[in-house]
Amino acid sequence: MKRADLTSCLALVVTTAVAGLAVYGLLPAYWVFLATAVVITAISLQGLGLVTGRAGMIALCQMSFAGVGAWTVGWLNVIEAPGGLPVWVVLGGLAAVPFGVAIGLPALRLRGINLAIVTLAFAAAFDVILATITFPGQTSFLSVARPELFDSDEGYFVFALLFYLAVALGLSVLSRSRLGSAFLAIRHSERAAAALGVSIPLTKLSAFAFSAFIAGLSGGLLAGYLGTLVSENFSMMQSLALFAVATMAGAQLAEGAIIGGMLVTLFPELLRRLGLPQDVGNVLFALGAVQALASGETMAETLRRNLASLTVKLGLPRFAPPAMIGTVLPAPRSRRDPATAGPTLVIDRLGVRYGQVVALSNVSLSVPAGTVVGLIGPNGAGKSTFIDAVTGFLPAYEGSVRLEGRPLEGLPAHERARLGVRRTWQTTRIPPDLSVGAYLDLAAPGLRSEERAAVLAWIGCPSPDTLVQAVDAGTRRLLDVAGVVAARPAVVLLDEPAAGQSYDQALRLARRIAEIPKLFGSSVLLVEHDMDLVRCACSQITVCDFGQVIASGPPMRVLEEPVVKKAYLGIALEEDAA
Amino acid sequence: MNALLTSAVAGLTAAGAYALLGVCAVFTFRLVAVVNFTGAAIGTAGTFSMIGFISLGVPLWPAVVLGILVGTLAGALIGLVMTQWFSESTATTKAAVTAALLVGIVALGLRLTGGQSPKEFPTLFPGSAFRLAGVEVTVASVLTVVLALVFTLLADAFLNRTRTGLHLRALSERPMAAELLGVRVRILALLVWAVTGAFTTFALMIIAPQRSPDFMSLSLLVVPALAAALVGAFRSFPLALAGGLTIGIVEGMSSAIDGISQYRGILPFFVILAVLLWSQRGARWDEAR
Amino acid sequence: MTRTLDVSGLVINRAGLPVVRGVSLSAQKGQISVLLGANGAGKTTLLEGLSGIIPTSGGDIALNGRSVTAARAGERARAGLSHVEQGRTVFRQLSTEENLLVGMAPGGDLADAYDLFPELLNRRGVRAGLLSGGEQQMLVIARSLLTRPEVILIDEMSAGLAPVVVQRLMAAVRRLADAGLAILLVEQFAALALRIADHAYVMRRGELVYDGLPQPLLADPDRLHHLYLGDVQAA
Repeated sequence: MKRADLTSCLALVVTTAVAGLAVYGLLPAYWVFLATAVVITAISLQGLGLVTGRAGMIALCQMSFAGVGAWTVGWLNVIEAPGGLPVWVVLGGLAAVPFGVAIGLPALRLRGINLAIVTLAFAAAFDVILATITFPGQTSFLSVARPELFDSDEGYFVFALLFYLAVALGLSVLSRSRLGSAFLAIRHSERAAAALGVSIPLTKLSAFAFSAFIAGLSGGLLAGYLGTLVSENFSMMQSLALFAVATMAGAQLAEGAIIGGMLVTLFPELLRRLGLPQDVGNVLFALGAVQALASGETMAETLRRNLASLTVKLGLPRFAPPAMIGTVLPAPRSRRDPATAGPTLVIDRLGVRYGQVVALSNVSLSVPAGTVVGLIGPNGAGKSTFIDAVTGFLPAYEGSVRLEGRPLEGLPAHERARLGVRRTWQTTRIPPDLSVGAYLDLAAPGLRSEERAAVLAWIGCPSPDTLVQAVDAGTRRLLDVAGVVAARPAVVLLDEPAAGQSYDQALRLARRIAEIPKLFGSSVLLVEHDMDLVRCACSQITVCDFGQVIASGPPMRVLEEPVVKKAYLGIALEEDAA
Repeated sequence: MNALLTSAVAGLTAAGAYALLGVCAVFTFRLVAVVNFTGAAIGTAGTFSMIGFISLGVPLWPAVVLGILVGTLAGALIGLVMTQWFSESTATTKAAVTAALLVGIVALGLRLTGGQSPKEFPTLFPGSAFRLAGVEVTVASVLTVVLALVFTLLADAFLNRTRTGLHLRALSERPMAAELLGVRVRILALLVWAVTGAFTTFALMIIAPQRSPDFMSLSLLVVPALAAALVGAFRSFPLALAGGLTIGIVEGMSSAIDGISQYRGILPFFVILAVLLWSQRGARWDEAR
Repeated sequence: MTRTLDVSGLVINRAGLPVVRGVSLSAQKGQISVLLGANGAGKTTLLEGLSGIIPTSGGDIALNGRSVTAARAGERARAGLSHVEQGRTVFRQLSTEENLLVGMAPGGDLADAYDLFPELLNRRGVRAGLLSGGEQQMLVIARSLLTRPEVILIDEMSAGLAPVVVQRLMAAVRRLADAGLAILLVEQFAALALRIADHAYVMRRGELVYDGLPQPLLADPDRLHHLYLGDVQAA
């Protein structure tokens, strides 16, 4: 575990302990009882935050998953299963997992709106089932047995808090892992995530599985909290309200989950004391959620932003790890013997059509090992389509693509990426809420931190702990390139990496691109408009127009060919000149 | 056999309502690109307003008209929120907004209508229309099915034969190109929201006496409605119509079978599951991302 | 002479990057101004800023002396600023004639469209998605004409079209200007556009690098080549 991880985990433990002690020691019993509800709701919200906040999918059945956990605990209580409540709660969480996976399955490849519909329908169906089968022990008024140590209301508060802490710690570690970064990546752009080698179905399903597990835990805890349960505890409206609260408070952050838990529990209490109807709370949550969606900022994020600006105003030192000066680039990819090995990437008679329109036809091209090859051509010449086809983002194409002799046909995008065909995008698709270092870990797993810093320094990116959203758009494009080369794949396909850069920046980038084969061992295919950059970086270029190759060879010669000038400048220039 | 037919016919009213709500959902999605979770709630608001007007002494039919007016306004109000703040948002964000709004509308509705205690609803169209194989078919059930059909045909005719319809079709295909041609896109979007508000309100007025008539249950009719819309892939009016009718009729039939009847509310879930699993065979990359 | 469209110091950022960096240009009644430049120079972004598709971050856009910088895209369109986007944005599910009717202003006449492009008359009932690329380009230009604009911005109309079709389109655009419209024509393919133009601009990396008559560029292709592709001796 890295130092920053340890620090934040420790901070989480200390904050939770202090807050817990304060509640336990200072508040009257009734408020401790309420605080327990806050904690249990916060657990459930953390699970929801993982799916909706982190992975960006709408889930409207969180309380149904909780219901599965609660039902399981109730049943284990009736049959007097060994282990007692702590074991039962965990089993309840596990019981919810298959449901989460099953609900996630039909929405794997489809847009979030379908997921919203399927989860809402599941919540409705679960309502129907619960109303019919009732909770184990409900009719006989058999209360769920609490562990002796935590039997009192104060004791049960500690019990719930321990679970909250375990979940928060688990999620904190998860959020720093590659999987956690992958959640953010698929929310931001599924294609870009796949291009980094992330399996979209697995990532989505694991988000659902974790979320259902956590919801199941909270349901089990609720069973122990209330003793007996009724189906209304887990109704569809509860799920919907929880979704609104998660959206409003920002449940993907630990403090957002607590804020949400307080809103759900304490707001009705406040209304009750003011003599106002308690159900008005949901109206407020709905408005709050709409406001958060409109402004793009949740309560927890607002809190963090204000705290950060306060820290700056007060001149307090901000936590900053020691800067590492990067000098050690990762070892280049072991190159095969160029004499015996064939070219890295061979594209043979590639053809792509969209309905009647032929986007590419009969394009053959090869990228020799250790070289930078340029692919240029006017607008609409099919260059981006070419990259999409090679990297597996098109449903079908004609011809063949071979990487070091191995045909890639039939492999999905993320597997091609893992095999060593990596790409960048015309507009950067880096998740803005990742740090620069976390993005590099996502793009190139297994780098040592000094190697990471060296790659960033090489291309001119800020230090690893900078947040991507604080990085200007031009530098993000460099980070995009840094990510693919740091993974040291067999070949990288760069799609207009210099678009939007100033002239000097573009030339500097060109020199870096020219160094890639030597420093990282990867071959490069560069798609670019900027001819100065192409001349500077490439040893060979291929020119496309109307989806066909019209010229190829060394840059200086090809760019002077009449057919190329004609493609770029217009149809009849040489007639005019003549 | 006869029992099955009786219950199938009994499901007709619900079938017509599901179909109409489903077609409205398709209408909204096709024209303003929003999956609307508040569809049924808007209609419910209008329906309960009608009850309110009646209790204030307004005669039945004027109250119906006023109720539809309230539903129309409620629809337009949601539309205003969507066009004002979320016109540039992704489909997912828009769906999240309507899901959140549903929470608020139901809470507000329950508060204003006195919670989940059932209300007395006037039956707008009492009596039976005709007998089919010895089974009474009620006027209400015929009417909802006819209304769903009429809305489908009207929507089709309106879109294909009027200038506003032409603008709407252009808008649904390329909103920016339509705006660049001077089409008043925001007003048109509001119109779509208002019209669906009016129709769902009327549908819910007819069906309300046959359901557990509290604000929440009626609002949650959005689930079978979205299942029906999904059958039409959020594109086809006739398929959504057929989907809604099928769900309603099968639901009705299942109520005749012991051991299944209490689980009939699960049906929309299985329809959605089946449609999604079938329709994603070839799907790969989300266009936008 | 009236400056129908007057743009001064326009700045546009895209994804945080300055793509248009302080461009001033104008389009005048009865004239074709052509805006040339290599891919990625910022031409399309400039047009999108002018018509209100994307927000601008600085500078002013005036139509007949009145600033429209704060107006939404629809308002600019109704004020007489029409934009023919690149990529032939026909409504594919609508017929040719329906496409023309969508934006037809009061007092507009379908006959004007068919007069400009008689080819479309035979295809009036055909779904626009089934038209050829050339016909689709004709349709979007005719569609714009029926909104009765004062200025038409045309983006990359010749991309991917056969030379004979491009010549046909260029002739039609010349006719529109001769009828009193102000045209700003963005092209990547220079030669033909320069021959019908009254004024020429060249953009490189978001800035104007040429503002003057088209003839000097036509007379010296090497100069144009350099403006486009940069200095061959660089690097």
